[in-house]
Amino acid sequence: MIDALMANITWMIFIVIGGVLISWSVHFVPVGGAPAAMAQATGIGTGTVQLAAGAGLTGLVSAGFMMNVTKDLPLILASGAVGAMIMIAVTMIVGTWVYVYGVGCVPSSAKVKVDPITKYRQDLYVSQGTEGHGLPTVSFVSGVIGGLLGGIGGALVYYSLIEVGVTAGLAASASSSVTGNELVGIAAMFAIGIFFVNAVIPSYNIGGTIEGFHDPKWKKWPKAVISSFVATIFCAIVAVIAISQLGVI
Amino acid sequence: MEPLIGMGVLALIGVAATIAGASEDLESDVGSQSNPNSQVQLAPQMMFPHRIYNKAVSGEPPSNALMCSVGAAVATVLISEFTLSPLFALVLGSLIAACVHGTFAVTATMGRCASQRRFKQPVYLDMIRSHTPVIMGYAFITTFCVLVVSYLMTVVLGHPFPLTMLAFIWGITVGAIGSSTGDVHYGAEREFQQFEFGSGLNASNSGNIVRYAESGLRDGYDNSWFCAKFGGPVTGIAFGMTVFLGSWVTTVFDPAVSITRGWLSVVAGVVIVLILIIWNWKIEVEARNAFGPYKEDKSEEASA
Repeated sequence: MIDALMANITWMIFIVIGGVLISWSVHFVPVGGAPAAMAQATGIGTGTVQLAAGAGLTGLVSAGFMMNVTKDLPLILASGAVGAMIMIAVTMIVGTWVYVYGVGCVPSSAKVKVDPITKYRQDLYVSQGTEGHGLPTVSFVSGVIGGLLGGIGGALVYYSLIEVGVTAGLAASASSSVTGNELVGIAAMFAIGIFFVNAVIPSYNIGGTIEGFHDPKWKKWPKAVISSFVATIFCAIVAVIAISQLGVI
Repeated sequence: MEPLIGMGVLALIGVAATIAGASEDLESDVGSQSNPNSQVQLAPQMMFPHRIYNKAVSGEPPSNALMCSVGAAVATVLISEFTLSPLFALVLGSLIAACVHGTFAVTATMGRCASQRRFKQPVYLDMIRSHTPVIMGYAFITTFCVLVVSYLMTVVLGHPFPLTMLAFIWGITVGAIGSSTGDVHYGAEREFQQFEFGSGLNASNSGNIVRYAESGLRDGYDNSWFCAKFGGPVTGIAFGMTVFLGSWVTTVFDPAVSITRGWLSVVAGVVIVLILIIWNWKIEVEARNAFGPYKEDKSEEASA
């Protein structure tokens, strides 16, 4: 067991880096939680974990597809990032349609007086009794950065887990059947698990709502990243032992 | 695979995903799930008892992931062990998933309404009887379409993930998208139509949801009727776009041909995202100019 851990120490480091990236990425995603669903807070109207997981897992699907045809790590990471970025950008643009055309709110932030990117005034456009609403440009860009980092993190974890399995003597070829390949299945399962662990930890920092990297709460990210670092080490140990033992049998 | 067949499969996937997104949102409107349900839950406590289905099995992504995983697991067993026709297996899997979802919906709404007895919130049994089949119907459509997407990706496009895993991931994604887009139309507009359009929801009005319909008391049907005009379709477009664009870049620039093609697919994806950023910015500017009136700028007044 110790041998398996020592043999895969590089991949474990990659898994931990991936977990830390996921944790950091969640801070960028502008989530407004339940208040945003009532146009009462800036951001996307859903929970932190749910949106980050939705984006990251979409990235995982893209990365898994790419990994099927190439072994080039940068390309796999980039494709994971693109998958997650597309998901989150599409969600945000359609969210903007709903806020502007369906609810009649102007995108505005209550945390800053001017948008750091467009330099537009924000405070005048915030409706009375709300904490802002919709997705101003800075939140949109921040969300895309979150998707980018989350996609890279998820893809890195998945790639490393597959390599652990390949080292243990398992094959990761596609089977074109509904049951799929056992290594791919278990690696994806652990990757999703590690993704959720690292998406939950930052939500304690965020406490329901965050507008993006311009939000004062964003500065708290080192706490979550350190916690994720520790948590992912444990996840990595369990995942590596489980997958390498699969090869022994 | 032939590029043309790949594009055809992709089109089918996009259509199925669009329907899944729309029905997912309407399912959460008729049964009231996810974040807007916090207001439905709050209303009786603010002395506004209502006749709205109050299900909120869980957050939308986990509940849809559960539905889709149950359906996919049943379908996988039927296809791989009993060698049934995939279409039949997917339908049967979706049917079982819809029944599981219906069970959760009934227990959730009964438990929630019963726990609010001290606030004089009635449990409308006729409303539960009439709404649950509709919820199950929408759940069936959502699960079936997600299973079609996952099945085509696994078996035809050769995605390495097992069917159940892909269905789980797309279930999480469709829930996350429905909860972020279509539900806002229900939560921010339909629930609070008595307040001025475009004013957001003032925190002091929380829980004061609309309880009367055009005729009689408002229920989940009225909400899904309204949201089917905008919230539902745009959710469908969002999920369809996510699934379609995510796969489109690798179908047009096939990374299996060469690494350069793979990088071109990444570039295409980044270009799409940049276009969306600019589009959002344009909408923001347009909305600022079209809407109003806004607060007066006090600093400007002082300087003048």
